[in-house]
This record gives sequence, structure tokens and C-alpha cells, in this order.
Amino acid sequence: MTRLEVNLELNRVEGDLTIGVTLEDGVVVDARTVGSLYRGFEQILMGRSPRDAMVITPRVCGICGTAHLYSAVLALEQAWNLPVPPNATRIRNLCLMAEGIQNDLRQSFLFFTPDFCHTRYRDHPLYDKLMADFEPFKGVMHRETLLMTRRVLEIVAHFGGQWPHSSYMLPGGVVTPPDARKILACRSVLDEIGAWYEKRIIGASVDEWLALDSAKDLFTWLEKPGPADSALGLMSQFTRSLDMHRLGAGTPHMISFGAWCDPVSWGPPYNTHLSPSGFYDGDTRQLSSLDQGLINEHVRHSWFRPYTGGLHPFEGETVPDYQPGTDRYTWAKAPRYGDKVVQTGPLAELFISGDTLIRDLHDSEGSSAWLRQFARVRRTAVELVRAREMLDELAANLGEPHYISSSPDAEVDGQGCGLVMAARGALGHWVKIKDGVVEKYQIVTPTAWNASPRDSNGELGHWERSLIGLRVQDPDDPIEVGHLIRSHDPCLVCTVHFLETGKRVRFAP
Amino acid sequence: MRHLICFGNELHGDDGFGPAVFRRLAVMDIPKEWRLFDAGNRGLDTLALFEACEEVILVDAAAPAGHPGRLSQPLPEVIKEESALPGHGAGVGYLLKALNSLNGQPPLLRIITAEMSSLTPFQPELSAPVAEAIDETVALLCDWMAEGKDG
Repeated sequence: MTRLEVNLELNRVEGDLTIGVTLEDGVVVDARTVGSLYRGFEQILMGRSPRDAMVITPRVCGICGTAHLYSAVLALEQAWNLPVPPNATRIRNLCLMAEGIQNDLRQSFLFFTPDFCHTRYRDHPLYDKLMADFEPFKGVMHRETLLMTRRVLEIVAHFGGQWPHSSYMLPGGVVTPPDARKILACRSVLDEIGAWYEKRIIGASVDEWLALDSAKDLFTWLEKPGPADSALGLMSQFTRSLDMHRLGAGTPHMISFGAWCDPVSWGPPYNTHLSPSGFYDGDTRQLSSLDQGLINEHVRHSWFRPYTGGLHPFEGETVPDYQPGTDRYTWAKAPRYGDKVVQTGPLAELFISGDTLIRDLHDSEGSSAWLRQFARVRRTAVELVRAREMLDELAANLGEPHYISSSPDAEVDGQGCGLVMAARGALGHWVKIKDGVVEKYQIVTPTAWNASPRDSNGELGHWERSLIGLRVQDPDDPIEVGHLIRSHDPCLVCTVHFLETGKRVRFAP
Repeated sequence: MRHLICFGNELHGDDGFGPAVFRRLAVMDIPKEWRLFDAGNRGLDTLALFEACEEVILVDAAAPAGHPGRLSQPLPEVIKEESALPGHGAGVGYLLKALNSLNGQPPLLRIITAEMSSLTPFQPELSAPVAEAIDETVALLCDWMAEGKDG
């Protein structure tokens, strides 16, 4: 028996991430995801004015800053029990959808499919097609995705002034009202993206695609001219030829915080969504309502000041305590739902919200790398439809307020949480306010859920678990590991930037 | 319009060269057809700044190579795609490749870099050689912008 330890640094992943895998006879028997950069946003916020969170937290991520802004403002509105006008929620949702479309397209065609152009696959019957569509900077999908994802972000710019790192939401609403010019401009963007999505990505109409409700119908549909020649068709044919619909299941449990607040009914107790929240127990195969009180974070294998077991985010802490040479190995905590290791993302979002096609595929084949990526492409269609609805509703209610001012007396001490579905999954901000300033602030990101390390009970995180049993053909070039990890849409942090001259530089602690 | 775009992160030592140049230029009178941008550590997001303009000047720090503070004017095609990538895998090298892959007429592009002394993450402040390179860079950029105005 040969036993090898391989450390794989992934490029095209936002930030510093190392996957350490142990191979026995070519099969992964152990895995560790190492987040190698301490962020410290929670510590930065302590002692500051609560409203500072709306400027600081959108800087957590250069891809999902809208989601962080949305979470931050929801947490303060809950703490201060503030009403939110429907048009404000529509604008927030519209921008979150635009950001989601951007992420889902970039993840799919700038980060996931370029790996298919690896020379290992040059004898694959689909290789020429893969190169024509997915080759970086040359393939049709790669080049057009660069353009389209830039275009869709114009929607955020119309209402937020800039993207990324915008701060246009505030407790009680948003800073700018809708008007006919903005709505017309956003409709134009959606029309362009929608037509391109139908032509290139699915080879059919969005209505036809979203009407598919069973695995059997899907696979018949994927044989038809149009879908068969589309980017989705090609991606599915290739990944399934690699058995990726049987690989990378990870944890069977899923969590969704609910996609998009319901504009009409949003307000205390702040729990109505257009797509419902929930928890899926993969052992009992039962769905249940989300109880954010069950969320807790462990640091047993993380470089943070130790505490016992898991702490709910309202009681949590993020005090750095680098301990090299121990069994602690990451700057990521281990969030758990009760004692369950969960996964989150488009698959969890669509499954829990009741997408019948996704549920049928999950029931028949289970969670997999292919299904996660497939769900990401499908969610883009849902976002396109929902974004159009938000614009239509704004157009029908142009004269309605976009902001409800409140008395400074309303900004009382207390606590609140803001839960959204970001592009990568469940994102939560928890704030406690004391003496008018932030006493505690905790952020649990989607990648924290997915890329968590082992917890106090020794349970592996979702990514780690998804790698166990994977056969790796070439330990010097473990591309199979890359496929699986990228199917999770990894995001950790940004790192030092400079023009390179070819030297490889990493900034690990 | 013509765009002068400065890249870099001033929290990371000499990587703050671009922002330092931006701050100097921001308080000067520059030709009115030029717009200044501090792009920070963004990559792909700045594609929009290369549109609807006829010329772009890009200012950035270059990796250490033994001559701290040395100014260079690399051609876009020699800037390599990053291997350890910021911004969802899309730094300036990635950005330039993306720009080159798109249809349409890209703007004229000139690049100026100052070589870093060393990599010092999370240590604000430029090293002496890189700080000294700012004067020469600003003078050169003023000349370049004046050339654009004339011709």
C-alpha cells in the first residue's frame, strides 16, 4: 500500500485555500480544507457604531458584497424592530439577484468548466467541443461570460452607485427610489442576459426549461437539438461521463435561509420569503422549518481562542489564536446546525424551496458534484424570472416610498440577525448592541458552512467529507479534487495583489 | 475620454504604489479629457473602465526582482496571468487577458510599474526606494497625459 499526502493549492478560487488530501492506493482517505488567512471583520466591528456594518461588511467579499450588505441591514432592522417599505425590499432583491446571476455564470464558465480543457481529456470524444466552448479566453462561453457578467452588474450600479462594495441599503430602506429610467435600463440588461442564457446556456426557452419537473423528462430534453448543443448540455454530458453525478456527495444535510424577502409582507417577525427557508435532514429525509437558534460554531480545529463545544453566533467570539504544530489547521470555524454538518448553495436552495426537478434528481441520484453545478445553472433562470418580477412590481408602484425614516430613539440596545441566501448559500450576520455600539458581531458565510473543518466531535466538514473515497489518477496533478471542490463554488478571501513576473507567491501564515 | 487607473493595496507595503500615485495626481490639475481611478485590488470588475475610452494608462506595483523602485513600462502581453490569484481568481494579468479576448477595438494601453522591495502583507507604508519612485512616475504620467491631449 502506498500512502501519499498531497497539498493542492487551487487557483481561480477567491483567496487562500489549500486542500490537503491523504491518498492510499490512489484513493482519498483523509482531507483537510485549510483557510490560510485570518479576516477579523467581527473584531473590527466591536465597539463601533452599528451602522458602520453597512460600510465595512460589504468589504468581506468582492463577489457577494450585496449579500453582506443585505444581511447587515436586516440584522439592524430586526434589532430595532423597523418596518421596511415593499419597494426597498424589491430593490434589495433585484440587486441580490443580479449579483447572484453574476456569480453563478462566472462560477460555471470562468472557474468550473475551464478545467475540462485539461490535456488529460484530449482523447475524450467531447474534447474539441469543450475547447471550443470553455477554453479560457478563447472559448465562446468563456469570452461571452466575461462580457455578460459585467453587463448584469449594471443593475446594481443603477441602484447602488457601484459594485462591488456598495452601501446603498440602510435601516428602513434604500438610498434611492426607483424611476422609469432605471427600470427601463435594468429591463434592457435582463433582456440581453436572458436572450443569451436561452441561446447559449440552455438552448431553449426559460419557460420550457423551468417547466421540466422530472429526471426522466430532463434526460430526454437534453437529447433534443438545442439543449444537447448548449453549454448546459455539454457540461452535463462531460461531467456525467466522468461519473461526477456519483461523486462528491458530502454531507446529506442541507440548509437554506430562504431566498429573497417577500416585499409585501416583510417586517416583524421577519420570516417570509419568496422561496422558503428550511433544513433537510438527509438521514430521516425530512424537511423542517429553519430554527436559527440551532446554529452554532465550533473552533476545536481552528486557530481561534479555544472554547468548549459550539456557540450560537449571538454568544460567539472570533479571537485569533494561531497555534502551529497542533491539530488545529484553519482560520475557518465549523458551523453546525444542531450537531449536523450541512451543505448550502443553489442545490440546497432549490431543493428546500420545492423545485420538483431538483428533488427528483436528488431522490434518484443523490447529492453530487454534477447536481450542485447543475443546480447553479438552473438557479440562474429562477433569478432571471424573479428579477423581472421585481422590476414589474417596482414599475407598478413607482410612487411608493423606498425608505421609512425612524426616530433615533428607535436605535435601542438589543440584538438581531440578518439571514439571506447569497450566491454561494446561507449567509448570516448576528449583531448585539450595548450602550449604542456593537458589543458582538458574528458572520457565518456559505463557505464557512461548506468548507468547515472538523468540529468538536471530530466530524469532518462538508468539503472534506465529499472528497473521501475519490480516486485520484495522478497525485502530481489531482484534477479530480479540483473538479469536486470547484463544484462547491469555493470562496475564502482576497489576498495581496501585484503584477506577477511569473514567480509563484503565497501568503500562508 | 482617457483613463488613468491605479491598482494596488496600500495595506500591503509596496503594493500601495498605485494608490500613492493616485493620491498625488488627484490633487493636481490634469488634462480634462483624463479621468483618474483608484481601482484598489480589483481585477475583472475593472473591465468597464477599459470601455468607452480611447486610451488607458495602468499603474501598478511589480513583483520584487532585485531592483526596488525601478520603473518599467511592460507591454500588456508580457504581464502573466496570476498563479496565486486575488479577486476570485482575476487579477490584473487575468484582466488584461480578458480584455484581449473580447471583440471590439481595445483602447491604447500603456503600463507603468514600480518594482517592490519585498512582499510585506499587512504592513502599510511604502519602502524608501518605492516612495522615491513616485515623483518620477508622476512626472512621466503628466507627460503622457499631455501627449494624449496633443495628439
